[in-house]
Amino acid sequence: MRLSRLASVVAAVGAATLLLAGCSSSSGGGGEASASPSDQVLRIAMTEPGADLEKVWQQVKTEYEAAHPGWTVQYNFQNDDIYSTVGLPSLLSGGNAPDIYFEWSGNRLQTRYADGYAASIGDQLKAKGVNDRYVDGAFGGTSVDGKTVMFPIGKDVSNVIWYNTDLFTKLGLTAPTTWAELDAVNAKLKAAGVTPYAMGNKDLWPAGNWNGHVLSRIVGEQAYADALNMKSPLDSPEWVAAMDQMKKIHDSSWINDSVNSVSDNEGYTLFFTGKAAMTPIGSWLVDVRNEQAPKFNMDWFNLPAIDGGKGNQQSVLGVSTGLVVNAKSAKIDQAVDYLDILSGDDIQKAFVAAGSSSLSKAGAATGLNPLSERLLTLIETAPEIVAPPDTGYNLKVADALNTATSAVLGGAMSSQDALTQAQQKIDALK
Amino acid sequence: MKPNRGWTPYLFVLPAFAVFAISILLPVIATFGLSFTRWDGSGPLKFKGFANYIRAFHDSVYVSSYWHVLVYVVATIILEVLAGLLLAGAVSARPGTTFYRVAFFVPVMLPLVVIAVLWSFVLNPDFGLLNAGLDAVGLSSWKRVWLGDPNTALLAISVISGWIFAGFYMAIFYAGFARIPKDIIESARLDGAGEWTIFRRMKVPLVRGITEIAILLCVTGGVQVFDLVFVLTNGGPYNTTEVPTTYLVKTVFRDQEVGYGAALAVILTVVIALIGLLYSRLRRKTADVEF
Repeated sequence: MRLSRLASVVAAVGAATLLLAGCSSSSGGGGEASASPSDQVLRIAMTEPGADLEKVWQQVKTEYEAAHPGWTVQYNFQNDDIYSTVGLPSLLSGGNAPDIYFEWSGNRLQTRYADGYAASIGDQLKAKGVNDRYVDGAFGGTSVDGKTVMFPIGKDVSNVIWYNTDLFTKLGLTAPTTWAELDAVNAKLKAAGVTPYAMGNKDLWPAGNWNGHVLSRIVGEQAYADALNMKSPLDSPEWVAAMDQMKKIHDSSWINDSVNSVSDNEGYTLFFTGKAAMTPIGSWLVDVRNEQAPKFNMDWFNLPAIDGGKGNQQSVLGVSTGLVVNAKSAKIDQAVDYLDILSGDDIQKAFVAAGSSSLSKAGAATGLNPLSERLLTLIETAPEIVAPPDTGYNLKVADALNTATSAVLGGAMSSQDALTQAQQKIDALK
Repeated sequence: MKPNRGWTPYLFVLPAFAVFAISILLPVIATFGLSFTRWDGSGPLKFKGFANYIRAFHDSVYVSSYWHVLVYVVATIILEVLAGLLLAGAVSARPGTTFYRVAFFVPVMLPLVVIAVLWSFVLNPDFGLLNAGLDAVGLSSWKRVWLGDPNTALLAISVISGWIFAGFYMAIFYAGFARIPKDIIESARLDGAGEWTIFRRMKVPLVRGITEIAILLCVTGGVQVFDLVFVLTNGGPYNTTEVPTTYLVKTVFRDQEVGYGAALAVILTVVIALIGLLYSRLRRKTADVEF
């Protein structure tokens, strides 16, 4: 029974590490992708796209194979959580490493580049005219050290404040544009017996993203990045004062008591069932709403401007996603050909028709769900894009900050104590 | 019979050894080796000496995870072993208790993850059965965010663990009680001893060896607790239910610090081995009658 767990845990970690280590090349630099020259298979790894979008990916495969007789495209779709954690590293270290793989911008992309798994493809894409097919700013976040190492697939807004439009109308409220107005909205909601915010922060990232945006607006983007890059302390008076915005939300009972004990999905349910008027979360809520509560009326506003904040008050919290060509692949030219076909107008229109967003001019002109289209415009026209703590920076640092946020939001610690504790965790990493 | 070739015995052992080597030995050796490196799972390995071990002893979350698991182990000795012993005493005191034995054992047969999900619904502060029940009986002031409050989260997990495994220990003790010769019990009854006295003065002392094994199982199993914590709180709130296994898994799979995670795994293994050794040393050698 439970006695077997020691062996299970050690063997699981051991097996995972053995699998990863055993698959690595003797040079320690990971597996060679497609080592055999006679291997005419283009291997592509990504997260599960869903049934409708998978059909479009199959369409890309068909077009590629028709244009490259003798070649085969082989997809490896993995569950999001598995892919983003152990899945992709295992594949990259393996004997048949992907030639192209899905990745998120920020710290992850920088790590792939530093490890030698991201090829510089900017010149080849330009030569094929791919860049001309994309809207301005589409390639933002795809470069490391001035080199384009990612082909853009989408841009996710990681946090805006969604609100129940029926409830706002009923109470005569409008979307606030300043932090003071937002405070006033919160106070009116509370007076009307409605909890302003619902959130499920058991996994720390939902409130971590939200507060990350608030902090960057107050302390400024550079100070935010410096602290998360361990160049400056998190527990400075300026950060403590910024963190007090979360304390105010707790002290005013503006958020559900269960915030730190329920999952993000349970938080959405609270919002959809009218238990709260707003939920600060990312662009994916449109898909969740369409699936779980299609009749629920909602809209969003970006984080309101904070008086006296040092950051750009029009900034957007977001992350770019895209495809990376494996620098260790022997098929970089073929991989770029694939991306060329992928960027085609018909393909991009097909992606939009299947429910995805598109950064290409043809795709963008096709017309998305109005909520998603406005979100896409928001991030494309953002004067400053701020990376969420957990995708833009070291994960341990992000976890320390996100834990501090949850402690303050849950009323367990003062801003000073929470940030001091977070800084102690970060100091241990140095 | 003596084999006619010296290597024949090794040939017979080889299949079992191969399975053991691939599934246990090599992963353990690999984990030990990786614990001296920094590795993100795909990039180059960098030898770091004892840096990961030094870091582990300065990692406040990892160190505090052992305090949390200590509290959990103490709680589960009471809620699992002691409760199992009492349940076994109750169901063995009289015939016709098959229904109760099965009922108490059912949670043991269910997957832990399923139980954890079910209990997360029961304890949900917004829609959960427990808070709704407290409301219904006029005890609204007792309502809590059970899994989101640092004061109750670990206790809640321990109670759920007790609910599951008390039945397992009940089965062990029940089997131990069944091995006690009936004539001894009957003699006690003829001498006027009540069931509680028989349980306390006779049954419990006669299964002391089983009790010691049960406590060892509970302690070593408790140190390795993972499923319940992972599903119910994922180590939260604010790391107050973080246990070594959940932190280890987060380190390897979420943070992609394979080398550091390997060091944490090695330390955990050593701790559990030391507990086992210490326990076996402390275990009193007696000539008491056991069944």
